[in-house]
Amino acid sequence: MFSFTRKQEIFDVSGIKIGGQPGEYPTVLIAGLFFIVEPDFNKAKKNLKTMFDVSKKTGNPAIPDFFIRKEEYIDRILDFIQKTLPKNQPFSIDIIEPQIKTKMLKKLDEKKLLSRTIYNSIHIGITDEEKKALKRYTPDTAIIVAFNPKDGSPDGKIEVLENGAHMTDKGLLDIAKEVGIKKILIDTAALAPGENSGAAIAAIPVIKEEYGLPVGCAIHNVVEKSKWLSKHGIQAKKIVDIASNINIPLFGGDYIIFGPIENTEYVFPTIAWQDILISEYTENYFGIKPIKNHPRRKLI
Amino acid sequence: MKNIQTTVIGSYPVTIDTMEFIKTYFLQKKTDQKWKRYIKTAVQKMLDAGIDIITDGQTRDPFIQLFARKLKGCRIRNRVEIIDKIEYTKPITIEDQKYVKTLLPKNKKLKGVITGPYTLTRAATDLHYMDEKQLAFDFAYALKQEAENLQKHVDIISIDEPFFSEQVPEYGKELISIITKNLRRPTTLHVCGDIRKNISQILEMPVDILSHEFKGIPELLNEFKQYSFQQKICLGSVRSDNVTVENVEEIILHIKKAIDILGNKIIHISPDCGQRFLPPQIAYQKLKNLVEAGRIINER
Repeated sequence: MFSFTRKQEIFDVSGIKIGGQPGEYPTVLIAGLFFIVEPDFNKAKKNLKTMFDVSKKTGNPAIPDFFIRKEEYIDRILDFIQKTLPKNQPFSIDIIEPQIKTKMLKKLDEKKLLSRTIYNSIHIGITDEEKKALKRYTPDTAIIVAFNPKDGSPDGKIEVLENGAHMTDKGLLDIAKEVGIKKILIDTAALAPGENSGAAIAAIPVIKEEYGLPVGCAIHNVVEKSKWLSKHGIQAKKIVDIASNINIPLFGGDYIIFGPIENTEYVFPTIAWQDILISEYTENYFGIKPIKNHPRRKLI
Repeated sequence: MKNIQTTVIGSYPVTIDTMEFIKTYFLQKKTDQKWKRYIKTAVQKMLDAGIDIITDGQTRDPFIQLFARKLKGCRIRNRVEIIDKIEYTKPITIEDQKYVKTLLPKNKKLKGVITGPYTLTRAATDLHYMDEKQLAFDFAYALKQEAENLQKHVDIISIDEPFFSEQVPEYGKELISIITKNLRRPTTLHVCGDIRKNISQILEMPVDILSHEFKGIPELLNEFKQYSFQQKICLGSVRSDNVTVENVEEIILHIKKAIDILGNKIIHISPDCGQRFLPPQIAYQKLKNLVEAGRIINER
């Protein structure tokens, strides 16, 4: 447990604070919905309620991440967001295909949702059309995925932020700033099992110290793709999946993209427990006081 | 009948599909097969053009980053930074050369390219040694190990030292000697740019072949005529910094002029430098015309 020498940014993302020194703010938990599967809005509504309830109990802010893989889902998912989410609740929009991203941005603007949107994500695959759309319809907040196919190490991740590793015309940080993103969150890009996945965790303190920006990742993806764990048994894999997330706050991270929202009931107490542990030490040693809603204030 | 062979300097332009890479990341798949496909594309283009001595195309990275990425003591930021003692801890280009070898017909040869120690030194920002000479020597000792590995897999080893066109340090010959001493393969030193002021020092280099930008700077031919030297010549015969495709007759005239001046010293013809910055179709057409010119010259 440690503290950073560089001043750490704290962003207010539509009412949720993210960033700062370890132990200061509770870890923000981002839950995935509609990944791969067809959107099931009834189930999603129930899962969201469970998540917001448990979030209130532990103090860890919850943000839903809506995966949109088909253009035809855009309107239905945005309607669902407007009707179901609490007023001002931020949400993340997770799209791979650039054409769907650009259409989504226009819709978000039309529905006046851009200030609540976390754009997930800007990465080396960004196209000129996507940049144009981002300049025109600019979300306040975006996640930059520091994926560098040339180098999975923490240095490789910084390289892609700095100069795009010679695969984009400039660094991803500059691209994000140029299109007008005000609040940048860095995702350290957890790689496939056996591809230096651990570097995503090691990169968290390195990138926070380098830029002072909020940092996190989806380390759970590595567990999900682990073949040996799949063979080992469903229950063990589930436990490892949940437990893998504690690495992120332990290494100073600010947010966790923890995978399916169905894991809420296990992830929130696990991370609340970890946040308490970190806060106990960082307050005693560095004098960093946790905010009023921190799990240590709410649960102990 | 002459036996002038066609070759390339190092890099070949390949369009990298960054979206394809990001999809491998999102799907948690391994990226190395994708790089192999780009290497194969570059090699296939060189083979299709009819080049006799092929390289791997240096598709992964620009020539500085290619080596800095894998040498201990370097880290890549906007520039390469030296943060610790330079050491060779793992092969740098060997796996790619092994792969290229599997793609080559028996009548084709493979050239392994090493970025030179002085060029790496000058291209980097030194935060550790504060002693240019010591840094250059440590690079040379590290690259020697790569060269020793490389000679098991390639037919010829080329050292790329463009910074020698600006300046050859008084220890320049020693640096190159460290690498070439006791190698069993023929060696080339490639120095692009205007080397006229440093030509006498370059002629002292312990290599078998000298490779220069004779097409862009044809005055070099008469400069070389002033000296007696042991090395053979790789004649730059098409420009790498200009998108105009030289026609076959123009290339033949250039080669004939060079033969008139330097006689049978000329054993290879090539582009003036790496072709990374040329549009792929232009690079390919330049190689095709080079090969055709070489064929006609050889038959005369």
